[in-house]
Amino acid sequence: MIIGEYKTDYGQDEGIWNTWAKKLGFVVALLLLLLIPFIGNDYQLLMAGQIAIFVIAVVGLNVLVGYTGLMSLGHGAFFALGAYTTVALHQFFPHLFPLITLIISMVVAGFFGFLFGLPSLRVKGLYLAVATLSANFIVLFFIRQDWLEHLTGGRGGIETPNAYFFGTELITNQQKYFLIVPIAIVMFLFAQNLFRSRFGRALIAIRDNDHSAEILGISLFNYKLKSFVISAAYCGAAGTLWAYFFPAILPEDFGLNMSITLLICLVAGGMGRSLGPIFGTILILMVPELLKMGAFYFSEGNASAQIYFSPIRDIVFGLMIIGFLIFEPMGLVSIWDRFWRFINRWPFAK
Amino acid sequence: MGQFSQYVMNGIMNGSVYALIALGIVSIFKSTKVVNFAQGHVIMFGAYFYFTFSVMLPEATFMPDWVLKWEPEWLAAYKEGALMFSPKAAIAGWVNNLPRIILGIIGAVICNGILGLLIERVFMRPLLGQSSFAMILCTIGLIWVLEGSASLIWTADVDQVPPLGPNFPIRFTLFGEQVFFFSASVVNFGLALFLFGLLMLVLRFTRSGVAIRATAEDQSTAYAMGINVPAVFSSAWVIASTTGAFAGAILASRNGLSPTLGLFGLSVLAIVLMGGLDSFLGVLIAAMLVGIFESLTQWQLGGEIAEIVPYVLVLIVIIWRPNGLLGQAEIERI
Repeated sequence: MIIGEYKTDYGQDEGIWNTWAKKLGFVVALLLLLLIPFIGNDYQLLMAGQIAIFVIAVVGLNVLVGYTGLMSLGHGAFFALGAYTTVALHQFFPHLFPLITLIISMVVAGFFGFLFGLPSLRVKGLYLAVATLSANFIVLFFIRQDWLEHLTGGRGGIETPNAYFFGTELITNQQKYFLIVPIAIVMFLFAQNLFRSRFGRALIAIRDNDHSAEILGISLFNYKLKSFVISAAYCGAAGTLWAYFFPAILPEDFGLNMSITLLICLVAGGMGRSLGPIFGTILILMVPELLKMGAFYFSEGNASAQIYFSPIRDIVFGLMIIGFLIFEPMGLVSIWDRFWRFINRWPFAK
Repeated sequence: MGQFSQYVMNGIMNGSVYALIALGIVSIFKSTKVVNFAQGHVIMFGAYFYFTFSVMLPEATFMPDWVLKWEPEWLAAYKEGALMFSPKAAIAGWVNNLPRIILGIIGAVICNGILGLLIERVFMRPLLGQSSFAMILCTIGLIWVLEGSASLIWTADVDQVPPLGPNFPIRFTLFGEQVFFFSASVVNFGLALFLFGLLMLVLRFTRSGVAIRATAEDQSTAYAMGINVPAVFSSAWVIASTTGAFAGAILASRNGLSPTLGLFGLSVLAIVLMGGLDSFLGVLIAAMLVGIFESLTQWQLGGEIAEIVPYVLVLIVIIWRPNGLLGQAEIERI
């Protein structure tokens, strides 16, 4: 859509930043992300950290749902596995380097992603959604068990450790921000990179039609499982950061609600698009906060009106999902696209 | 052996309620190809409507007294000298409640039918022709809407509702051991099977049943043959929500009334997939199987593991038979 951008070889076209606008946008975004921890207060940094963690998980989900076309309602389980792996590791090695925990969590979550992915070879669509949903319930059931209580804290939840970065404990949200956001950026770029390779194109072919893809010589067994493993590893990484970011975790945090929230972030942003997870996550996580502010403003701090807040938030949330599906099925990204198309063509066309 | 059969029978009775809930999901899927994740929450609304019409409304001041407690003279004579907790006293207590039970059921069925119509018109109709993924997400969005509005309209307290049938223990010996269950669950069992059978007969022998089956077979051909397909969609949602009203009343009288009732729908979804999404018979079998396995695990391994029985079973069945026990394999064109 950018005019006057001439490419002379395929390498330029394939690059991640293949236009000047993308390059500029990326630099501006990086600068903004650098600025946030110095201007934001503690609460805003809490939101920023939460959004960054969710972005990682949703980018991972995007690999599976958006690009491979396999539906999952069980990604909360991978989140849980990442978080609980971190907690368990820190019981044995209290000062483990965060990146090592991150990698181990990703491996553990990836392994379970492999197990969850096995049914995907036989079933797809809705049946797969319910199979992953079941797997989510089963994983959380084991986390709640008494005989794992020394590791997981059982149904009462467990306090999570803080990350130690070369001897300094990361305590404030500002410090944690500098751990989480760089990891989020790297993982985002990795996923971006995936889809300009043979591997990524194979996944997209499977999404478009898996039988045709198989005829073209793409091994469904291989690619579907790899897609599952990658997206599970992303969620595992998000889980690790979640455990570092929040003071305690509960099994209920990672239930069906989490899985659905991840999926909704993806749909609201735009499936199978690189910027979709970012837009969607920001929107979905900010809306409850805005509603909270609105409720506080309208009730003028009246405590009796506050009890209506949570049901109203639920209703608005649900209506928003349905609204997106009906009026903007391609997600926020399509609004973004339209905006830039308009800027580009103005004043010659709309 | 006696204990075993006791638990198997308990399982069958629970299974019949599952089957009743599953009926709604299957009937919606068969005609509209939408899998309703919010069926449990539609049922929750049914339960709350039943509560409104059988408890809140009769207690209102403008209602005549006999609605809340009906005491004709012959009943007093019948009750004379009945012991506490005896079948006689239980039946008398049930007859006392009869007007409000009937009022509750009628109110719940009508209101839930309207709710079903509303959902179909407002939320599902605009999505017609979109991918099944979008439809599923839409019903997931509905979960939040329904849950939020339920706790706005009715306060989130757990409340008691009158059971649908007289409630007294039935005891007898089987294989030399004492076996017992509550008569209310027998009534629920009968009601669930009756509704299931009734719907089967309607689908098989009435004009609208034929229209529903034709739409399930092939939507565009049904259109071409002059069948009003949108009306079929509406009727499928109405069937689901009205049977859901019965299921809600049963669940509310058995487990108490609370917003968590909606979660029931998810385990039933697992049952539906286990039986095969488009097969009523398969779903009935799966519901009974899950009911039996659940009560057997509860007996042998404790109640906690029973929670995940439907999910474990569905995983096993799906891997073994990807379209459920009796579901038809979908033929895909490239």
